[in-house]
Amino acid sequence: MTTVPPLADADSRPDTAGIDLRGVVKQYGTQAALRGLDLQIRDGEFFCLLGPSGCGKTTTLNLIGGFVAPTEGEIWIQGKRVDQLPPHKRPVNTVFQSYALFPHMSVLENVRFGLKMDRVPRDVSSERAAQALGLVGLEEFGSRMPAQLSGGQQQRVAVARALVKRPAVLLLDEPLGALDLKLRQRLQIELAQIHRDVGTTFVYVTHDQEEAMSMADRIAVMNGGRIEQLGTPEEIYRGPVSRFVADFIGDSNFFEATVEGAVAQLPDGSRVACAGGRSGAATLMVRPEAIVLHGGDGSIAGHVVQTSFLGSYIRIAVETPAAGAPVIVALRDGAAVPALGEGVMLSWTAADGVVLEPGPAA
Amino acid sequence: MAHDVEVLSRGARVARALLNGYALAIYLFLFAPIVLLVLFSFNANRYGTFPITGWTLEWYRAAVSDYQVHGAVTTTLKVAAQVTLISAIVGTAAAFPLVRSRLPFREGIRIVLILPIMIPGLLIGVSLLVLFVSTFHWQLSEETAVIGQSVYTTPFVILLVAARLQGFDNALERAAADLGANTFQRLRRVVLPLIFPAILAGALFAFTLSLDEFIITYFLIGANNTLPIYIYTQIKFGITPEVNAVASLLLAGSLTLLAVAFALPQLVRRARRAVMRVTTA
Repeated sequence: MTTVPPLADADSRPDTAGIDLRGVVKQYGTQAALRGLDLQIRDGEFFCLLGPSGCGKTTTLNLIGGFVAPTEGEIWIQGKRVDQLPPHKRPVNTVFQSYALFPHMSVLENVRFGLKMDRVPRDVSSERAAQALGLVGLEEFGSRMPAQLSGGQQQRVAVARALVKRPAVLLLDEPLGALDLKLRQRLQIELAQIHRDVGTTFVYVTHDQEEAMSMADRIAVMNGGRIEQLGTPEEIYRGPVSRFVADFIGDSNFFEATVEGAVAQLPDGSRVACAGGRSGAATLMVRPEAIVLHGGDGSIAGHVVQTSFLGSYIRIAVETPAAGAPVIVALRDGAAVPALGEGVMLSWTAADGVVLEPGPAA
Repeated sequence: MAHDVEVLSRGARVARALLNGYALAIYLFLFAPIVLLVLFSFNANRYGTFPITGWTLEWYRAAVSDYQVHGAVTTTLKVAAQVTLISAIVGTAAAFPLVRSRLPFREGIRIVLILPIMIPGLLIGVSLLVLFVSTFHWQLSEETAVIGQSVYTTPFVILLVAARLQGFDNALERAAADLGANTFQRLRRVVLPLIFPAILAGALFAFTLSLDEFIITYFLIGANNTLPIYIYTQIKFGITPEVNAVASLLLAGSLTLLAVAFALPQLVRRARRAVMRVTTA
């Protein structure tokens, strides 16, 4: 990325908190898309709304953008109540999933559109549009038409167009959804860099946990119109509060267990280490990479039913009477790989055995 | 041409050849009169029919210099221009609620709006005549003909513009709103430029339909003559080669306009791109 001066200078923004959603409810007929959402997004933060389709993440984004009116509750942006303002009166710009570039305008005119609506003089708007295009590495493409650009380039134009007005908040609605994996990974890095360059609050909607983890400062995992968990990627990965979150973020192994203190008893009677926090019937969750193959105290026995070489790691599946489904273990490349059918002992440290509310086996 | 089955029995080949011949005969029957009309318009024979005694442009010369033809052409163009304008504006305005609003009975409203295409022109002509003359006590004129024709041509604009609006990506309007455009700006900067080809095509369609509209016009135009009505009155005294020439010109004009209407979306796109290249280079 080129070194372009940041679009939003830090001292021109007030210090009041970024975005504040207070008790927001959205009903579609009798269907509740959001059931009482309370959410504070900090100024300048890269915030991800993550969840499966229908979880309310896009509704939340549309509420902030002004495309959807809340049934109940208040929305504040930088200390100003905005829930009754139409989109064009909010300090918010959006990068749409389909990019929504105006097909009858050149790239430069697309980017300049927002400034034109604000009656910014032409020479100033041209300069700022060129600057925004530079920010996304497309300064040479101003005279092209959107149809002449690749998907990744169109996506960058959409970002430049939304950022040129120096919004307090940039909303991104699954902006990388239509791109292939390689390009998506490259643009994830670019978007994070752009975020650091401009210092604007980014609110990013995605159903792709890897995308959320790679860019976000904080993630809100949503399910059924509620926030299930809110935290940094690491907090959520290491300490999911529910089976849903554990399942949605990363790979996990689940065991039905009866917990007492730091010991969990599995259905086959074996006793393993766990972090505790709840006693009685529970679900024990262990990440594949937290499991080691060397037996000892508090380990479970099983035999290997599948080994897969996946490049950066080797994944083995172990069938054990302690769990309903085969336990997935991720071995670092270079570790000794057991043969198919070989008996192995699985164990993990107490901190890696996360105790969750009991639930049906997946 | 690719057929579903390429290997055919002799019987099937014969049947296929007969079908092709039958189709050709129907097309000949439909289009031969038009070809003959054009042919006769260049025929030196002064009775405007067979035999062909030589080639001449005399009838075109006569038609172009005839003051009655002049008057009829002027009236036709004046009426057509007004009809085009009314249809384009009213039709475009009507297409929006048809596609975008959540009116109850939207399908019913669509059918009612499109109905004038299917109602016999005779009915439109007579009913408007009764309304204008007996109820409003208006004098029949070019303007009453304009209203009558517009009733018939506007639905075509509605259909074309509604089709274009149906395919319109609503995210574009949301994006414009997001970037600070109010309702009017969204319409002017984003929606209208993108549906403009359909409006223009609809307008050309209305113009072409108006040019040779006969029945409605005949009832409503009063003492004036449009070109179709002029031709009709001339024919009452016998078919002259001059009428052939006028009709051929009308045909050429209509076909040209229709060709432009169909080629228009492509042309507009190309022109816009050229302009863009010049202005942003």
